Amino acid sequence: MIQLSRITKSFGRHEVLKGIDLNVGKGEVVAILGPSGSGKTTLLRCINFLERPSGGTVAIGEAKADGKHPSKKDIRELRLKSAMVFQHYNLFRHKTALENVMEGLVIVRKIPKEKARAKSVEVLEKVGLGAKIDAYPSQLSGGQQQRVGIARALALEPEVILFDEPTSALDPELVGEVLEVIRRIAKEGITMVVVTHEMGFARDVANRVVFMDEGAVIEEGDPREIFAKPKQERTKQFLKRITPEPNYSI
Amino acid sequence: MKLDPAFIWTAFVKLLPAIPITLYLTVISVLAGLLFGTGIALLRIYRVPVLSQIASGYVTFIRGTPMLVHLYLVYFGLPAIIDVVSESFGWSFRSVSVPYFVFAVIAFTITASAYMSEVVRSGLLAVNRGQLEAAHSIGMTTPQALRRIVFPQAFAASLPNLTNSLIGMLHGSTLAFTVSVVEIMAKAQIVASTNWKFFEAYLAAALIFWGLTVLIERIAARVERRINVYNRGGVA
Ligand SMILES: Nc1ncnc2c1ncn2[C@@H]1O[C@H](COP(=O)(O)OP(=O)(O)OP(=O)(O)O)[C@@H](O)[C@H]1O
Ligand SMILES: [Mg+2]
Repeated sequence: MIQLSRITKSFGRHEVLKGIDLNVGKGEVVAILGPSGSGKTTLLRCINFLERPSGGTVAIGEAKADGKHPSKKDIRELRLKSAMVFQHYNLFRHKTALENVMEGLVIVRKIPKEKARAKSVEVLEKVGLGAKIDAYPSQLSGGQQQRVGIARALALEPEVILFDEPTSALDPELVGEVLEVIRRIAKEGITMVVVTHEMGFARDVANRVVFMDEGAVIEEGDPREIFAKPKQERTKQFLKRITPEPNYSI
Repeated sequence: MKLDPAFIWTAFVKLLPAIPITLYLTVISVLAGLLFGTGIALLRIYRVPVLSQIASGYVTFIRGTPMLVHLYLVYFGLPAIIDVVSESFGWSFRSVSVPYFVFAVIAFTITASAYMSEVVRSGLLAVNRGQLEAAHSIGMTTPQALRRIVFPQAFAASLPNLTNSLIGMLHGSTLAFTVSVVEIMAKAQIVASTNWKFFEAYLAAALIFWGLTVLIERIAARVERRINVYNRGGVA
């Protein structure tokens, strides 16, 4: 479904991505893990060209774009096939929850308003916000905002949804409700790439985890295997730092 | 000097018919200025090569020179240009047939464009980058994203500045009287000198400008309240 090949990205002289290859199959849920600054966000943003790669190619299904010299049309095709959930939600501030979800359906997909509204209400109900459809983002909690963000992505029925640390800006008590929603849509067979620091979530939900460090993929594989016995030293170190110490008290 | 309170009212009534001219001068130049100013702001924000440098030069020159100077430069410079161009094409059109009002509007538009571009620019910069990215991520084109997502928020953010500029242009439009456009101040001068009652006439003019200004402020406050519904706090 997603095919990234030889993706490189430099900011000035700083090479942030050093030739990344990644294939994600249809219906697969891939979690990207790695230390801060390893290039996870940058890689994710290269998939829908919010960041333009310095080299390589990006393909989602039939849509394909050259990293360095993409045409406008290619970029748009990729964006039509994907949707993104942002770390800081990025809901349209001047629009209600319902309008946020409808916007893409009406303006991009040209679906008639009434139909788009019905569809949007349905998706908002699905993420548990049926009672908040007329609230503005400023009137919602972080967890609610992120669920609107997920609904906005979901309503477009994209071939893939890209998540960039969807819960890391949330208060701890709100993380659960958002992860629960993501978990549920993962079960529906939507292709997802999730950058996350939530190890438990990655272990339970992902079909595959990808470890990145310093702009390269250093290890990937089945979550259970990798968490149990990582092969690379850097993966081991990273896992040791991030997983809580076992609790021995009775 | 003996004050003639009754004449204030007489002058006031005589000035009323000049209000539309003042409003035309102000509104046309502000709207045109908003249009060109938005273009200038976009050129600068997107750092369009060459054009953005020209735009920046334009803005510093216009903001660095008095509005009266713009008016004089247009009033004394533009007719010559029009005539030369017209002649070279063999047209019979001559600048004398252009009403003074038009020169004033052009000059004020030049002024307003520079000020408006700064208002628009700061409004656009106030919109979080994530808004544009979110719009792109759902497949919107940049023009769609600007029109539907960025501009409305930028407009809301720049309303106070916009109101100030509008009031500034309203008051600045009085300069048009120097090129024989009979707006409120010019009318006041006529009324004053024919009756030899200057203070009363200018006081009447002051009251009218005050009234117009308060009206603008009221309308702006209403618009602001409506447009900023979404900013009113909630839980988060
Ligand atoms: N727009 C930019 N300009 C310059 N440098 C950038 C830019 N965006 C990212 N970087 C740099 O690229 C590197 C990778 O950043 P990125 O955000 O992809 O890391 P990350 O793995 O997502 O980290 P985190 O876990 O902290 O979110 C960092 O060193 C960062 O400073
Ligand atoms: Mg990141």
